[in-house]
Amino acid sequence: MTGASDKLPGLGKLASFELPGGGVPYYRGGGPAAEPSLLALLAFTAAGGSGERTKALLGWATALQNSDGSVSVNAVDHDQGLWLTAPAAVVFERYGMERARDRALDFLVSVSSKTVANDPNVRQDNTIVGWPWVRDTFGWVEPTAWAVLALGVCGRGGHPRAVEGRRFLLDRQIPSGGWNYGNPGVNDRELLPFWDTTGLALLVLRGRTDVSLVRPSLEFLETNQEKIQSLCGLAWAVLGLEAWGRPAARLRQRLDAAMDPASDDGLNAAHLAAGVIALSGGKVVAQ
Amino acid sequence: MKRRDFLTGAAVMAGAAVAGKPAGGTAQLSASPCPVTLLPMPDYGRDMEKEIAQVMTSDGLVLKGKRVLLKPNFVEAHPERPINTNPSVIASVAHACLRLGASEVAVGEASGHRRDPWFSVLNPALRTVLDKRVKCLDLNHGEAVATPNRGGSTGLSKFYLARAVAEADVLICLPKMKTHHWMGVTLCLKNLFGTLPGIYYGWPKNLLHFRGIENSVLDLARTVRVHYNVIDGVVGMEGDGPIMGRAKPVGALVLSPFSLAADATAARLMGFEPRRVLYLVMAGRFLPGLRPEDVALRGEDPRRFATRFDCLDAFKPMRGGPFF
Repeated sequence: MTGASDKLPGLGKLASFELPGGGVPYYRGGGPAAEPSLLALLAFTAAGGSGERTKALLGWATALQNSDGSVSVNAVDHDQGLWLTAPAAVVFERYGMERARDRALDFLVSVSSKTVANDPNVRQDNTIVGWPWVRDTFGWVEPTAWAVLALGVCGRGGHPRAVEGRRFLLDRQIPSGGWNYGNPGVNDRELLPFWDTTGLALLVLRGRTDVSLVRPSLEFLETNQEKIQSLCGLAWAVLGLEAWGRPAARLRQRLDAAMDPASDDGLNAAHLAAGVIALSGGKVVAQ
Repeated sequence: MKRRDFLTGAAVMAGAAVAGKPAGGTAQLSASPCPVTLLPMPDYGRDMEKEIAQVMTSDGLVLKGKRVLLKPNFVEAHPERPINTNPSVIASVAHACLRLGASEVAVGEASGHRRDPWFSVLNPALRTVLDKRVKCLDLNHGEAVATPNRGGSTGLSKFYLARAVAEADVLICLPKMKTHHWMGVTLCLKNLFGTLPGIYYGWPKNLLHFRGIENSVLDLARTVRVHYNVIDGVVGMEGDGPIMGRAKPVGALVLSPFSLAADATAARLMGFEPRRVLYLVMAGRFLPGLRPEDVALRGEDPRRFATRFDCLDAFKPMRGGPFF
């Protein structure tokens, strides 16, 4: 247990996920994993619960960093999960672990997504470099957004890779609003926008992007917010809208309720942590 | 061989299919030709538990005391498109497994499309129709078991299978009958992509695309032990599948212990010649059931269901028939 403050909804429940041997699982009964552990650390520090009380969890997460600076998916498969290096860099920054942070950032900027020639059937620029989930594959919205976020949070938002990463995200925006996991459309048909990737991309683009470039996505989230039902979607929608100063009071209410379900069956600790971060105002992930 | 080369250069590779041992499961090893049963299910309002249990039993599937994992295709909660294996079909199969004495029944999916599991097997539309004893597992977010790749097509030395997949006593594959914009058709074999956790492979599982989708299907077909298959062909998807297509009512469930036999039969019902679908032909080199003579059709007359799915132009050369 971290013993972190219970002021924010969901924080006590999130703390109860922490395993005695270290780490936080995605779901109760599962093994410890990097992502829920890293997001829990961000949630705890967002709630002022860092310091001695998060020491064990931070130690567990720090041990996931490999010699090349990358961070693995869990403590078993060290060569898997390079995409987790970005959220880890944010954690290292927020917890004042400069050396681990710099190693993570150095690794991040060394990793590039694959590019290919442009295809007239796909409305996107395949030559823009982003970040992949897995080495030697294409770039996708979520790992690219997290890498840009990490560079921004760590004071490197002007790095050429961050600049190109933002360009990547804007290129992948669906013309009528929102983001899919990767492509805005194929064969002149727009793909479906997702709540989580849309919220994340909006959060990341705040501060260095003119609002006119993301207005369709803001309007997409605003006009469709009653349709968002999942904890994950609610959390990222709140973060995305509030980053741009858009009101999200009703979404917050529903997020608060979603963080306290009748049963923990199917409750994802990473999503719970994202919810805590959203309700905290999102400063811990602000650039 | 590239798909286009295959389509232009090979008319029929009838000799490709040779009898061989499927990926696993006692039921799969027992029969040749491969039994494939067609069950009529005109709409999703009908509970098929009893009929499915009877067919499973007649196919030699023993579930008493076994931990069973159902692997549907459940990747996007869209109110208007028949993208997923319908919850009523999943429920009928899950409840049939309970009826046959399974000690545990779970429904698991690692969607390569949506990361948010609310849009997959944690969706209320599924959870509310399942017996409370049936668990729903988000296979994207959790532990994996490094499993040697028993195929050699992708060059990958191992696959990280979701732990629930690796540890199930019985794996039942429950795909949707759909066209696929890269593969032509997506059925049982392609459905195995959803045994690989996204936290290891990403969204989509782009590593498998780089290694070749057909290659990946073939390697997974050799590596993942599938014991039984039920294809939801009640309402399939035609056109720009597997996400953006249109509903195509067929009114049938396709059941078989043999993945390729189920796929080949379903493809014929869709109006596709399986011997023109590259990955099915390649699978026919190590799995039985590609050719009509490899299949023992049971249940309803296939002519009742046989139809012609619309598809993208690139895949129209794969079509054929009439087959029945």
